[in-house]
Amino acid sequence: MNSTMRLGVVGIVFFALLGLLTLRLWTMQIGEVEAYEERALSNQSRVVATPAPRGDIYDRNGVKLAGTRSALAVVVDLLLVEEEERELLARNLAAFLDTPASEILDQFANDSQGGRVTVAEDISEVDATLIVEHREEFPGVSVIPQPVRTYPEGELAAHVIGYIGRPNEEDLEREDVKPTDVVGKAGVERSYDALLRGSEGAIEYRVDAKRKVLSLAGETVPQAGGSLVLTLDSALQEQLQDSLRDGLVQARRLEMRERADSLVERSRSERIADALAEAQEAALARFDEATGSTTTTTTTAEPGQDDDDVPAPPEEVTVDPLTVLGSLYPGLPIDDDGICVPTQRVTVAEGESGVLSGIEPRFLKVESIDTLDDDLVATVRIGTDRYTVSDNDSFAGTLQVLVVTEDEVIVYHRDRWCPVRSVGVVLDPNDGSVLAMGSYPSYDPSVFVGGISQTDFASLGTASALQNFAVQGLYAPASTFKAVPYVLALEESYYPLDRGVGDKEVGDEAPAEEESPDSAADSSAADSEGSNGDSETTDAAEEAEEPQPLLSDTDEYSCSGEFKFRLSDGTVQTKRDWKWPQGHGPLDLHGALQASCDLYFWDMALRLWDERNDETGVDKENLLQEYSRSLGFGTATGIDLPFERDGLVPDRAWFREEQRAETGRVRPDGPWVGGDLMDIAVGQGAMLSTPLQLANGYAAMVNGGTVWQPRVVDQIVDTDGEVVDEYPRVPLQQVDLDPRTVRMLRQDLQQVVNNAERGTARAAFADFGPNVEIVGGKTGTGEVIKAPRTEAFRQVDNAFFVGVAPINSPDYVVSIVVERGGSGGRVAAPVARQVLQYLVNGPEGVTELAPGLDAD
Amino acid sequence: MAYTVQDRSPVFLDRDSPLRPDITLVVAYLVLAAIGLLMVYSATAPGLSARGLDPTAELKEQAIFVVIGFIVFGVASSIDLMELKGFVGPIYAISIGLLLVVLTPLGDSEGIAQRWIDLGPIQFQPSEFAKLAVILMLASLLAGAAVPLTWQTTLRAVVFVAVPAFLIFSQPDLGTMLVFGFVLLVMLFVGGATLRQLGFLALVGVIGTVGLFQLNQIDEYQINRLTAFLDPASNELSLSYNQVQSEIAIGSGGLFGKGLFEGSQTNLQFVPVQASDFIFTAVGEQFGFVGGAIVIALFGVILFRLLVTARSARSRFSYLVVTGIAAMFAFHIFVNIGMTIRLMPVTGLPLPFMSSGGTVFVAMSAALGLAHSAWIRRNMTLAERPSEL
Repeated sequence: MNSTMRLGVVGIVFFALLGLLTLRLWTMQIGEVEAYEERALSNQSRVVATPAPRGDIYDRNGVKLAGTRSALAVVVDLLLVEEEERELLARNLAAFLDTPASEILDQFANDSQGGRVTVAEDISEVDATLIVEHREEFPGVSVIPQPVRTYPEGELAAHVIGYIGRPNEEDLEREDVKPTDVVGKAGVERSYDALLRGSEGAIEYRVDAKRKVLSLAGETVPQAGGSLVLTLDSALQEQLQDSLRDGLVQARRLEMRERADSLVERSRSERIADALAEAQEAALARFDEATGSTTTTTTTAEPGQDDDDVPAPPEEVTVDPLTVLGSLYPGLPIDDDGICVPTQRVTVAEGESGVLSGIEPRFLKVESIDTLDDDLVATVRIGTDRYTVSDNDSFAGTLQVLVVTEDEVIVYHRDRWCPVRSVGVVLDPNDGSVLAMGSYPSYDPSVFVGGISQTDFASLGTASALQNFAVQGLYAPASTFKAVPYVLALEESYYPLDRGVGDKEVGDEAPAEEESPDSAADSSAADSEGSNGDSETTDAAEEAEEPQPLLSDTDEYSCSGEFKFRLSDGTVQTKRDWKWPQGHGPLDLHGALQASCDLYFWDMALRLWDERNDETGVDKENLLQEYSRSLGFGTATGIDLPFERDGLVPDRAWFREEQRAETGRVRPDGPWVGGDLMDIAVGQGAMLSTPLQLANGYAAMVNGGTVWQPRVVDQIVDTDGEVVDEYPRVPLQQVDLDPRTVRMLRQDLQQVVNNAERGTARAAFADFGPNVEIVGGKTGTGEVIKAPRTEAFRQVDNAFFVGVAPINSPDYVVSIVVERGGSGGRVAAPVARQVLQYLVNGPEGVTELAPGLDAD
Repeated sequence: MAYTVQDRSPVFLDRDSPLRPDITLVVAYLVLAAIGLLMVYSATAPGLSARGLDPTAELKEQAIFVVIGFIVFGVASSIDLMELKGFVGPIYAISIGLLLVVLTPLGDSEGIAQRWIDLGPIQFQPSEFAKLAVILMLASLLAGAAVPLTWQTTLRAVVFVAVPAFLIFSQPDLGTMLVFGFVLLVMLFVGGATLRQLGFLALVGVIGTVGLFQLNQIDEYQINRLTAFLDPASNELSLSYNQVQSEIAIGSGGLFGKGLFEGSQTNLQFVPVQASDFIFTAVGEQFGFVGGAIVIALFGVILFRLLVTARSARSRFSYLVVTGIAAMFAFHIFVNIGMTIRLMPVTGLPLPFMSSGGTVFVAMSAALGLAHSAWIRRNMTLAERPSEL
């Protein structure tokens, strides 16, 4: 092979290689050009979502409760900021926005929005101008308009409206929810979230490889969400919230007075005398100083007053006993007004001590904070007791850890007997519309807009301010529930036995004994004689008369203060009416409801139990439960608000299930007994209901038997104000009530408020003013817990009142609960009175809040 | 009349002058350099202006090197290869020395690789000149050897290549090392090696490469570069990102391209290091298949002219030098363009006369100039050669 041939071979190789390149170019640029073009296009467009403004929320009269305004947000496009410039930028922004630079740098580092970080959500026009004018100090920073939620009425109807926030994992499972979205977290903001959110728009930009925006490629305008028109009346809502707040403050004040009264009188007067003397001395000193020299005192809290005011002469000095009380309970959580507050928040740094409330102040020392299995664990000491605690642990009875951080521990000290909250609902019994609803403490939904600080969230959490207790709070409805056995009695003509008067034994209680299949028969109270061979038989035999059932609602029953009944094991159990020891005297059904006589309803339940107790035929023995359920108790009403609770109407089947599952909510052994049914009859025991259920049950009883599904949204309106959808009025159930029963109930409820002799709410409604005769209601006092009474922590009951007006053709049902407030007649009824005054006599008719008398 | 014209013309433009340059080759060279400058500008201007800098900054810098390159081309064309033959030893030694300097702290590193010598404002890449030195050394060795080559000569040739190749490999620069391998094979072939010898060398090469992998002597990034090529879609944002973007750019160019400054990929800087290694992408996207084919054709013209030059070379040394230079160009062209259209893995070999980069352009111009010199002196005896040229 000569060199020319060899060169020829090399040439062929070279040109083969060039040919290969050309061939490949051909296939790419001619054959597959379309596919490549598509890829090139998608390469250079970026879509930025533009949030849609949320729909507005109005009350029934068009008052705007939630709206949207356009705010200026500061965003940083990280890709336009050189790495080394970032720190300087963060510092510049920090100085400008008054947030720590480290926080901004963290945001840069944790950027999850594709290079665009929002560093401030709502800045003033002036600030925006400043940023725009100083571009060189803020590279990559732009100011863009962003819709921001507003709640013009603040706390008004917060629990119905709810609040918004970033979606959690559960929210993200929904369609169309992205982590950067804002979704409703509570109230109608949550239940109507999909409708309120609208559909977001998009702006498509042409960008270069560094995602620098070159030009606008297209824009989809965001669609604003639909607006809601609520059934609420904001003026009424305001009255309800004011009354709830005032009622709770009053309950707390009363509670402190009670505590004061329970102190040793001498000690109390001594301390008040001491305080008075001290105050006088101080006033004297101030007086001397003021008259002796012209210089202003620096010890006074408000220096401005010192200039002209001549100090009061010493003899006019007085002290407020409630404030002095603070010194009597050095550790008790008492606010500046001398009112007890239910929780005390104590923050203690490692190695230091904090003061805990209590009769004797206790010191909580945080000895050390360690890490155990990635959790922070604190070792704390109170006196000689040492506890090892972590987040959310409860310890030492009344203490709960909120959080353990690396250098401090935050605990809550709960005063369990301080009035905790008040809850209220106003319903229209004609269609189930909620006219007002809320609980106190409440919150301003605005604090959630743009993110809430951890401390704010924690303090709202401590007070459970975020929950709407009208649908989420479960309470034993107590005597307000007596209206249900009352209706049962009239409908079924079923009355208690007349077991005679006073505190003598009236028969034996008849629990269904597991060992005896015929226990129902031999424990029947009606013919207990002879069936029990124990020592009590003789007592029973001594009674000449056998108890006979009452025959009508007007037959009188001996309503004493104490109810004794014998258990099948021979022991005698005693239940005491709230009006023990004096008792109510003889009362018929109507009187029993008006005076809230427990015995009448206990006895009725016991008769029901004795006659119908049947382990196999539970539907027969559950007559009372059936009435309760048909009136809506035990099942969530289905109102268009989230997190509604079911409540509970206990029966034998439930009881057994609880025992089997060992939930700890019922006694671990022993059968379902008549005592349990007696508890239900007076709304106690395991019976649980939400304030809304209570109102709705009453609404059904007074409107003739229609159980409506409550609703807070009346209409859905589009952006042009056109009604898109109307929320239907849904009757859940039609209970066949005799018109006479309804008439009687209305009458007796009216008597509870108006009967001077025995009406339990009479005192609370004493200064109602005109039209009190068209108002009715029922009080209730729920025992919270049977704890040993101590001097420090008294037992405080839940207070209830359900009001109805106008009584002959009801348009309003008001349900009020003051949690751990005391008795219904004293604490809850006055709150309801104000609301009813507003409804019946208008805003001018509302008189000042004053406690009623203690009555069940 | 005709004589007057001829008299006025420079002597090398005279059609019959023995000193007449290879016009075709020079035109192809100049056109490629011009296209290269235009492409460098189109690929760098948007990025520069986006940063608020002079959009022509990169173009100006490259233009300076192009001018230097033209001068170097002219100077190299005037060097008689036969005279150069006497200096092959020192040239080889100096280039080895420079390669060693790169490995010392004087060497400047860019990315992972250390390939540069920092000379203040100018950075110098010795491996580019090492290629030329190796070609001269091999030509000198093979020119004096008997045909067919003995095993001894072949092995000596391998050693001459292996020393700089090893130094370059430790820099590390896999692409340049492969250039050496290809040039060695081509030069041995045209120098008269037997097919058995070539087969043996190819075998050793394969075994050696496998051995280097086995002994972990090849850095991970080199393996990644090669394996990323096999499945570029899998890690679009990592190593082969360049290649994928380049492929999209060229593919979307179509028959006539998107037009100058209309290439979304090129002008929006989706293709990194485009002005240097991926310059062909700018051609393919903005001028389409037609533009790409023209550039390839221009390279074909250069390769063809070089092979013609080699055939007509007056000495065996010139013949070998020119073939070696042609092989070097061919390999660069194929691997570089092949890389931009995902026909070859990413190896970082620049495209001759087009890629931005001072050393590359000057070194390539020098190589082309030397080959051109062989053409100019194809018909001359030593005595005929004008001493002034």
